[in-house]
Amino acid sequence: MSTEERKDTLHYYFEKIVDPLGFKFTPDEELVDFLLEQEIKLEQSAGAPYCPCQGRTNKREHDMKIVCPCIPYHQRQFNAMKRCWCGLFVHKDVTDPDSLPQISESELRESEAGHVD
Amino acid sequence: MSDVKLYTLSTCPWCRKAKKFFSDKCVPFDYVDVDLLDGEEQDKISDEVYKISGSLQYPVVVIDDQVVTGFNPSRYEAILGLPHDEATA
Repeated sequence: MSTEERKDTLHYYFEKIVDPLGFKFTPDEELVDFLLEQEIKLEQSAGAPYCPCQGRTNKREHDMKIVCPCIPYHQRQFNAMKRCWCGLFVHKDVTDPDSLPQISESELRESEAGHVD
Repeated sequence: MSDVKLYTLSTCPWCRKAKKFFSDKCVPFDYVDVDLLDGEEQDKISDEVYKISGSLQYPVVVIDDQVVTGFNPSRYEAILGLPHDEATA
């Protein structure tokens, strides 16, 4: 299967997975193309379409949580950002993905602690 | 002059944007593409990244003693004392 065919296949299946989670592909088509290409390279070299922006540890418990689409494992953080970490998916209501910041887990915890206080 | 170090992945577009940000601002920086390191070195640096940022989400930017996880031009500008640039925000 060529890279382009694999991209189409991943696009088709990913859309079905993220839709019920309230996400869609980012409207930035250039970013979608680049990220899917990186995921296919990772699939070929490491065995799965891992997130191109998260590091692997070679420990199954950790690494399975960064196989795309990894939204279910990071839902709190990604809902706060309205996007996933690499930006391949955004909340369905997002039209301007460039305006969405990346918020780290530690920043999120600090911000939530601030709200409690 | 601030000491700037970037931990990045060669596959990550936000890591590329972070490198471009510092290049465009003429701020000298060191970087390491963690995924391109050999096995043992990669494990060592990944451990270092986890210790300083609490995750393995990239890019991780260290400016002097401050750690910013993610591509966040406004934070970089604030820490470096640079004027806010809407074009890079």
